[in-house]
Amino acid sequence: MSTDHNFSVVGKSLPRSDARIKAVGAAQYADDIFLPGMLYGKLLRSPVAHALIKSIDTSAAEALPGVKCVITGQDIPKIKYGNWRLVPESQDEFALAIDKVRFIGDEVAAVAALDKDSAEEAIRLIKVEYEELPGAYSVEESLADGGPVIHDEYKQDTPNISLDRKIEYGELDKAFAEADLILDDHFTVHATSHAYMEPCSCVAEYDHDGRLTIWTSTQAPYFVQCLLASTMEMRENDIRVIKPFVGGGFGGKMEMRPWEFCAAFMARKLGRPVKFTLTREEELATGRRRHPMNIHSKVAFSKEGMILGKEFIVHLDGGAYNSMGPTACFLCGNFGAMLYNYPNYRYYGAHVYTNKPPAGAMRGFGAPQALFVAETQMNVAAEKLGIDPVDIRLMNAMESGDEIPGVATISSCGFKESLIKVAEMTDWREKRKNLKPGQGLGLGCYSFISGGVFNWFNTRYNFTSAEVRAFDDGTVHLMTMASDIGQGCDTVLRQILAEELGLKITDIRLTAADTAVTPQADLGTWGSRVTLMAGNAVRKAAQEIKEELFKMVSLKFDLNVIHDLRCGDGNIYPANRPDRAVSFGDAVRMAQRANRGDPVIGYGSYTPRNKGLVTPAFSFGAQVAECEVDKETGAVEVKYMTTAHDCGTPINPMSVEGQLEGSVHMGLGYALCEQFIMKEGKTLTTTFLDYKIPCAEDMPPGVSVHVDTYEPDGPFGAKEAGEGLVSPTAPAIADAVYAATGYRCMDLPLTPQKVLAGMKKI
Amino acid sequence: MSLPQFKFLMPTSLSEACALLEEHQGKIKIKAGGTDMIVRLSHRAVKPDFLMALKKIPGLNEISYSPESGLTIGALALLREVEINPLVLEQAPMLARAAHATATVQIRNMGTVMGNVCNASPSADNIPTLVAMNATIVASSGSKEREIPLDEFFLGPGRSALQANEIATAIKVPALAAKSGVSYQKISPRSKVDIAAVNIGALVTLDKAGKCEAVRISMGAVGPTPLRAKQAEEFLLGKEITDETLAEAGRLAAEDASPITDVRASREYRKLMVEVLTTRALKEASSLAVN
Repeated sequence: MSTDHNFSVVGKSLPRSDARIKAVGAAQYADDIFLPGMLYGKLLRSPVAHALIKSIDTSAAEALPGVKCVITGQDIPKIKYGNWRLVPESQDEFALAIDKVRFIGDEVAAVAALDKDSAEEAIRLIKVEYEELPGAYSVEESLADGGPVIHDEYKQDTPNISLDRKIEYGELDKAFAEADLILDDHFTVHATSHAYMEPCSCVAEYDHDGRLTIWTSTQAPYFVQCLLASTMEMRENDIRVIKPFVGGGFGGKMEMRPWEFCAAFMARKLGRPVKFTLTREEELATGRRRHPMNIHSKVAFSKEGMILGKEFIVHLDGGAYNSMGPTACFLCGNFGAMLYNYPNYRYYGAHVYTNKPPAGAMRGFGAPQALFVAETQMNVAAEKLGIDPVDIRLMNAMESGDEIPGVATISSCGFKESLIKVAEMTDWREKRKNLKPGQGLGLGCYSFISGGVFNWFNTRYNFTSAEVRAFDDGTVHLMTMASDIGQGCDTVLRQILAEELGLKITDIRLTAADTAVTPQADLGTWGSRVTLMAGNAVRKAAQEIKEELFKMVSLKFDLNVIHDLRCGDGNIYPANRPDRAVSFGDAVRMAQRANRGDPVIGYGSYTPRNKGLVTPAFSFGAQVAECEVDKETGAVEVKYMTTAHDCGTPINPMSVEGQLEGSVHMGLGYALCEQFIMKEGKTLTTTFLDYKIPCAEDMPPGVSVHVDTYEPDGPFGAKEAGEGLVSPTAPAIADAVYAATGYRCMDLPLTPQKVLAGMKKI
Repeated sequence: MSLPQFKFLMPTSLSEACALLEEHQGKIKIKAGGTDMIVRLSHRAVKPDFLMALKKIPGLNEISYSPESGLTIGALALLREVEINPLVLEQAPMLARAAHATATVQIRNMGTVMGNVCNASPSADNIPTLVAMNATIVASSGSKEREIPLDEFFLGPGRSALQANEIATAIKVPALAAKSGVSYQKISPRSKVDIAAVNIGALVTLDKAGKCEAVRISMGAVGPTPLRAKQAEEFLLGKEITDETLAEAGRLAAEDASPITDVRASREYRKLMVEVLTTRALKEASSLAVN
């Protein structure tokens, strides 16, 4: 389909616009910002998992030379916040704990001092008296009769379930009654860390005109602006949030966080800038993480391999606060019924409070968990029914035009093509028959969203917008609140704009992610929303510019109204008379003259309307893992990864490739070695020595190919790339380990010890 | 995390260094590559008033070999240097393997083998092979020099037999006897670039009949110090090398190991890995001894 599209900038592997500055080490991240008179902030965190705060004595800290400010929950407005503004009762956090702490690491007090050492010393001098309460450290403990109530506000029957979701369609009970095969399995999946390279950092400044400016390592400047305004009792327009270079987020930086509030609050109080930068230990010991879940999944098949129905029951171990848990709870229900046509489906998801660091959004947002389960069960069903795992998937696979009742319509879908491709590339059928001892081959698939439709933040603006200003020197300036956090949207949006206007990427200047300058608003970088949503907004803004300039060209050549005008090679011309070209810059000059000096400005926005309940567009793909298992040690070595995926038009194939490699890396860690080892709410793996992220040397070689599709709802046919692919890796590896050892993993991660236990050797 | 305050000393001779050690006894720490020490300082695990770098002392980075005195690895020889040094690769390739197994190349370009030994971590990569090969540490107090057998060097986690006024200047590794082979085996939760959950060094010498004439097995990360697998060694002496005797030696080694359960592995998994890795190490060492 996309072969008809002859792009000149889109689809090219252009170097990223931030490549040079990062390569030479000149990119300024929040922690690189030093302002005159700046103070250093530090947080005091709770050392206990669940306790009442009886008293806090800050006098010794305040008396320490160099300390300028100490604040506790008693000093700040008692206003709760949270990203789910649409459901105000879900907003369950105070920036600093008031009366109660709910996890080890809960923020209790903050200090600002002349230097870091004094700030740290001051933290040690704050005396807090706690009255410890019993804690709940798992879903089971939290839901047990007589278990501790973590938020006293929830007085219903199950007080620790903060929110639940049900989906139901079809006649599931009938499907189970008619089934030839029913799989009824319990899975557990674990928490992992975003482990972004840049720990969270921010600098806040309050000026004499009463405006607060904060440079912060965030994925969502607009969320920070709105939630700072509500918690600081300021007007949104008095707060300016600037996103400097950000060293990764993966979902972990999409909320307003206590250090942002404390920096802002103390900057306003003191009239001096305040900086907070978290340590890696703080990030690992107390930071957001991927949701651990208990999943009960029951799937019905006919003997021919058709899926008849599924019941999917998920308990999310949410930790002490909602964070982005409600979204994960919603999406998990959707991902549970993706990839294949489930004619009958029932989902119950519950977000459960526990006395652990809150889980939040993380790459995949409910998909890695749901799809580990779904894909493992597809592999089990294939074996039990004697059908090749590729064939049973092809039989049930979604296609373009398929509808998920009341939820979404699949606009473009390259899933079957991905399956066929990945089977071809790996010589799947032959290779599976000829495995050597210890060798395994496994398959996993995924689907993911291209941004969310549900307005849980309750924004009053469009979901994203863009402004483009054209200049008579043939250049344009793009302004957008879309946030490049390392994923490359600054480059991709330029490519989209350059394509639309027939310019070179170097003709485009960009100002992004500054709430005072860039157009209101953009919801941020998460859920793989930016390329599709901001890309569409940029195109619309560019189309306004084109309308204006086309008039000038039409006028100049006195063109018949039937002429189709084009932008290309820096010119504007009639499609069938390229000789009658006006340069882009000249056309801008003419338009400016015609408008008596008014600049040529285009504005575009995008809000998904009538796009169902989930997303405007789904991506798809399939992945095969080739593994070797050392049957004496249980060690799993991934030898090769083969991926075929459908992201629509890859706007920048090199960037997509980088995303895919990153996904495999994260999926590998999720499958094999990354985990938080905890004891009664205390995280024991607080450094990269013990929190095991795969290193460069652990990365298997691999290959990935794009399947050719064109997404009608995406800019130039593009949709999600790189987030969804974090999901198939764990089920593919687990399936390969099964082929090699006979051990079917339903409890991630696949540590060597677990593999040996699965083989009954330990 | 920022470093605490200390005075940084850079002596240019061994005698000057030893004098400084003498003068500031109890208040001074030594740094070679610094890859362990700087981390410990920033975590306030040690709080010295003085930190003395050995870097400016000439001759301490020597790597040399002679059939009589064996291999000498100077205190400042980098992990990476040992990993790729032709003499090491020729005379004691398993020392190169162990050096290679240590951390990442960036760390290996700064850290030293001696630092890894003196840090006295039970899981150190370079210790088991050195113990198996019967290496000694040359300790100098300026006026006096002594050699400490590695078997007697480790007193506990982070504690060695070095006196407060002594600097470890070199590791001496005896030349291998004829028909000898060495092996280093390691397992960790992540496949590569990781701290060992269990590591084993083994040396096997065969007699003319192909029976085990001498054997030394060192086990790491399964006790407060590197442990010798005495039962396994005694069992194997004079025995033929067969799959059965090696398996039994592995089982006996596991009996001698006293691992704990921690975030890196459980006690039972470590015990089982001692068995598997000891058998593998003995197998590799004896096959190298034949050649």
